[in-house]
Amino acid sequence: MSLWRRIRAMEFWHELLLVGLLAGLLAGAWYFEQARDAEFVSWETQANLSSHMWEMALLTIPLTLIIITGGIDLSVGATMSLSAVTMGLAWRGGVGVWPAVGLALAVGLAAGSLNGAMVVFFRVHPLIITLATMSAYRGVAEGLIGAEPVSGFPAGFEALAEPLVAGVPPAGVLFVVLAAAAWVLLGRTAIGRELRAIGYNETAARFSGVAVARTKLLLYATSGLVAAVAAVLFVARRDTAKADVGAGLELAAITAVVLGGASIFGGRGRILGTVLGVLLLHEVRSLVAWRWNRDELTFIIVGALLILSVLVHSVLTRRKS
Amino acid sequence: MYRWPRVLLVTASLVSIALSGCERPKDEQAQEDSDSGSAKTLRICFLPKKKGSPYFTSCAAGAKRAAEELGNVELIYDGPTDGSAAKAADMVDSWALQKGDVICVSASNPTVQARAMLKAADKGVRVITWDADTPAEARDFFVNQATEQEIGYALVDALARDIGGQPPVGEVAIVAADPSAANQNAWMKHMKVRLAEKYPRLNLVVVKFPGEDQKKAQQQTRDLLAAYPNLKGIWGISSVSFPAAAEAVLQSPWAGKVYVTGLSTPNVMKKYVVPADSSQPAVVKSVVLWSTEDLGYLTIRAAAALAQGTLKKGDKTFDAGRLGTKQIVGDNILLGKILVFTKDNIEDFDF
Repeated sequence: MSLWRRIRAMEFWHELLLVGLLAGLLAGAWYFEQARDAEFVSWETQANLSSHMWEMALLTIPLTLIIITGGIDLSVGATMSLSAVTMGLAWRGGVGVWPAVGLALAVGLAAGSLNGAMVVFFRVHPLIITLATMSAYRGVAEGLIGAEPVSGFPAGFEALAEPLVAGVPPAGVLFVVLAAAAWVLLGRTAIGRELRAIGYNETAARFSGVAVARTKLLLYATSGLVAAVAAVLFVARRDTAKADVGAGLELAAITAVVLGGASIFGGRGRILGTVLGVLLLHEVRSLVAWRWNRDELTFIIVGALLILSVLVHSVLTRRKS
Repeated sequence: MYRWPRVLLVTASLVSIALSGCERPKDEQAQEDSDSGSAKTLRICFLPKKKGSPYFTSCAAGAKRAAEELGNVELIYDGPTDGSAAKAADMVDSWALQKGDVICVSASNPTVQARAMLKAADKGVRVITWDADTPAEARDFFVNQATEQEIGYALVDALARDIGGQPPVGEVAIVAADPSAANQNAWMKHMKVRLAEKYPRLNLVVVKFPGEDQKKAQQQTRDLLAAYPNLKGIWGISSVSFPAAAEAVLQSPWAGKVYVTGLSTPNVMKKYVVPADSSQPAVVKSVVLWSTEDLGYLTIRAAAALAQGTLKKGDKTFDAGRLGTKQIVGDNILLGKILVFTKDNIEDFDF
């Protein structure tokens, strides 16, 4: 019991640190940006800029659960690309826009299920499996669509990217719902405990009656489906289906989850931490682009934040042992 | 039990770092405001396809020169260092929210960026494209480095000169990229016209489409050399196929007998034009491009004029400062200055 409490406490401090950084960042921006015409810390700016993060944010929720089981999914960006291309080609081929969305979701679910099946049956680390499918899915997407992006989707579909609640598009609402569901699942149900059990010790979990294979299959399938949803939302937002949709988002999502305090070795991780990680990553990127216009600086700061996040953990863990 | 005070200390120090990080730019801002005096400072954002690439860095150098000459321009140069089209569109969004005066876009994925540009226009920001265009409804003007005809003709003239002879005689071939690339197809159309009109004894035997793939382009060039042993010259008309074709010729027994030309930046092609080992033959005599610095310069000049109302839709000419008067065809402002790099001048350029 004391082990559990210690971990809880550590995560508490980690999350407090993230809140502190976030608050510091926004307070600093608010204080020093007042002289400018448009303010960074205003609801309008923040709601507008938030549209840049929702797709990545959606990916982090299933990814957090997967990372808690000691796995990883590197293929989410490529799955987005495959789903977007499927949707674009289906729509260009004369299928209605909503059936095309259905097809994209089906392809995402299939791609995720294939990941899950291979992880379960081959018993190879998911890093290898999803590294392979990342390359394969993107290759298929590139091959299918060629150089010409699909564009000019109907207005009814593009309404998906319009503000819904307080300037925030449906993607943001979906993220809140998904995060809440995952939070309940992880913290309030037996499944949540099983996920952590798999992450701590898979063999022990299997002997204690956890349906490891089924759980993993479901997790990777969900991850694929969520990636497809993210892809559809991106297509609606930028009116473009092409193979570069979702490029690099897998790394951004993993960064956010790890920044949020999840351990890449499994067992440890919380939804609240991930949400804070997503927000901090987004705010850092937005503020650097807003104020300094130096894309290279973004990479440096994100790297420094990640190292800091790991450092805090290692300091805290060492103190107690 | 826990050393939480230390954690708080770390947090506090980080917050203060974050705060102090924000401080400096405000001073700069204040300074800019007082420096510019009464004249309205124009905020012009200049977006490349990929920040940090030699081509775009040299475009930015020209843009900076124009901003300095004009004096009342705050030039913002940023772009995705990884070439991500989505991130480029995010930057356009961010600049539009800051209510800049003009945003100048080189579009890596025209439809992705067009969407962000239309939103920026809704917010009252003027948008132009340069280097790579988007659909016309998303921008006011396109600063066009060279027309398709100029590029096509320049490519043919360069290779004809390299092959030499009065008139130049022999078999020639094209290594293109994707068969669907609209700009390359247009260049080839004009190349064929020029060949027929001016060089009837240069015989175009084949066009290869290896895609934007360096290995395939090399392989197909080797096949080409084997299949047409009397070949005199090859055009590599994409930035990938040109160096690949040059490399394939260099490694073959035809080096020094077959000349390659095409579109590329000087640094990439230097080693083929001026071989480091002087016993090696130069497989490339001319590299065709436009002046990238002038392209950046013209873009900022046009952006400033658009914001001040001296450049309007329907204008036929544009006074581009140091570059003199430039033609406007439709909504395309033409740089119209093809630059050919040869062994005599290629060392003078560094991009």
